[in-house]
Amino acid sequence: MTTDTLEAQRAASRPAAAAPTPGRRRRRARITEARGGWTLLAPYLLLLLVAGIIPILYALATSLQRSPTPLQPQAGFGGFDSFVTVFNDFRFFDSFFNIFKVMIVWLPIMLIGIVGLALLVHASRGRFGGIMRFIYYVPGALAGIANFVLWVYLLNPAQSPIGFLLQNGGFSTIKGVVSLDNLPFILAGMLFFQGIGTWIVIVNGGLNGIPEEIFEASSLDGANAWQVAWHVKLPMIRPWIGYAALMNLAYGFQLFLEPYLLDQVAGGSLPDQYTPTQLGFAFAFSNYNFPAAAAMSIILLVITLSIGLLIVFRSGLFGEEEK
Amino acid sequence: MAKATLENHAPEVVGSKQWSVGRLARIVTMVFVAALFVFPIIGFVAMAFRNQEDVAAGAGGFLGLGGMSFDNAAFSWSQIIGFGPNGGGLFLRWIGNSLIVSVGGALIAVAAAIPAGYALARLRFRFRRTILFITLLTMVMPNTVLVIPLFLEVSAAGAVGQLWPVIVIMGFFPFGVYLAYIHFMTTMPPELVEAARIDGLSEIAIFFQVATPISRQAIALVAFFSFVANWTNFFLPLALLTSNSQNKTVSIGIQELIGASPLFNPTVAAGLDVKLYMPQLALATFLSMLPLLAVFLGAQRFLMSGQTVGAVKG
Repeated sequence: MTTDTLEAQRAASRPAAAAPTPGRRRRRARITEARGGWTLLAPYLLLLLVAGIIPILYALATSLQRSPTPLQPQAGFGGFDSFVTVFNDFRFFDSFFNIFKVMIVWLPIMLIGIVGLALLVHASRGRFGGIMRFIYYVPGALAGIANFVLWVYLLNPAQSPIGFLLQNGGFSTIKGVVSLDNLPFILAGMLFFQGIGTWIVIVNGGLNGIPEEIFEASSLDGANAWQVAWHVKLPMIRPWIGYAALMNLAYGFQLFLEPYLLDQVAGGSLPDQYTPTQLGFAFAFSNYNFPAAAAMSIILLVITLSIGLLIVFRSGLFGEEEK
Repeated sequence: MAKATLENHAPEVVGSKQWSVGRLARIVTMVFVAALFVFPIIGFVAMAFRNQEDVAAGAGGFLGLGGMSFDNAAFSWSQIIGFGPNGGGLFLRWIGNSLIVSVGGALIAVAAAIPAGYALARLRFRFRRTILFITLLTMVMPNTVLVIPLFLEVSAAGAVGQLWPVIVIMGFFPFGVYLAYIHFMTTMPPELVEAARIDGLSEIAIFFQVATPISRQAIALVAFFSFVANWTNFFLPLALLTSNSQNKTVSIGIQELIGASPLFNPTVAAGLDVKLYMPQLALATFLSMLPLLAVFLGAQRFLMSGQTVGAVKG
């Protein structure tokens, strides 16, 4: 990466520039530089503290509290009680199993879609490829609630452009479509639609980073477009595919908006705590059991933190300098 | 063999008359997928300009395009704006709140990320790598994971239902710091910093007089990505602002509209003066997307030239 080369250049030029200055002055210069660095970092570090580190520590402390009950109105130290509460909740393992069901449908479609479409876009140079890449990007602009309302429109057999398909499937109302059994497929569709565009652009960026000479060499060896895509491009973008898989995996554990709102659309006929994040939300806002909500978020934090560490250390996309 | 070479390397051949089976299959697949992506969106935008009678009757033809009119949109708008206590107007209030938190969050994000990115890229001090590592890690983690802990913190501070904690939290934008870091790594040679030091500038002065003038690209990108993330954020406002209907943002406001629709909640809807069917919900959603479209068009120039910088973010 360019960052590495720049870093190397700087390292190389450093001793030469520093050699003629006497030791004391150099040390003073270094202290000034460090002080400047910390001053410039201060606003960001303050935000990191307020919006990152303090809430985590506070959640950790809260999770070790005892939840006040009518018999024992004072909160106090409760050890791992709240974690036990969370683990023993009948919805806890269900919610992770639900995530698993969604992932098993969604992740393969997502990865095949990302890689397939990125390769197709990359094979189409010129204006056609550019237009297609733009069109694939458009649904990604409908993030969050907008994507959700769009899907409410798509899933209603009475007015959807794919209504005839839904009606052939035996569904006449949106409540019929949004059932527990269909949920993994509906969620997979929603997540695919809103996520695919950005990832095509990202993986396409990875493909554009492959030097032209490699394609020239494989063409000279007699490879056709399919063979180039399968044997040359695919192995070269493996880090990007791994990155996409892990980022989407981490995202999947955080699923909240879509199942939460689908329940509202289905008139409350779905489980209120379909995903772990919904369960944490319910602990906080329905049961007012803050220690359990905190314990739940600590569990999710540990999971996503592990995935995050994998991404930073194993994806190979971040330079040595950044680790 | 020769054809493959041409196809891969010479853009001018794309319009050529050579049609192979593989090429045809590729183009047909791509156009088909594009249609799958675009038709729902066209139908949805059309929905915002239709009326409920036509929608219920299935009139309007292909994707309902035949049933579009501005009169319909005007009626839908009267319903949306009529929602809320004391004559309505909640929707505009929500849009205003979204603007306040999104712009405020983006301003804080830029003000914090540009100097931090510069310091991480061009200054040497202890724990620099540690901070870079924490930034990367928080950047790749979904931000929803911290919402419940943040709620507990804000609740302890007694500020649930107010806008300012949301703005401050949105100002924490590690991806922006990473963008700024890459920007200074790639566009600002270390020699420039050395030269400024020899000229006798202080470290802070170097940042303001040398680094800031060449960081327009980074400022635009951080502001853009931060604004979009803030505008579409759902979980954070849901946890912090739901308790105060006047202080909701538009993303959770639309949730309230869905909950008041006779399509999904006849009992609540029966008590309302306004009727929010699908055309009204679609129009509200469409209007809530317009600010995103505006910032996208404004930032397009920077997005195009900054493609490589943005390449790593999901």
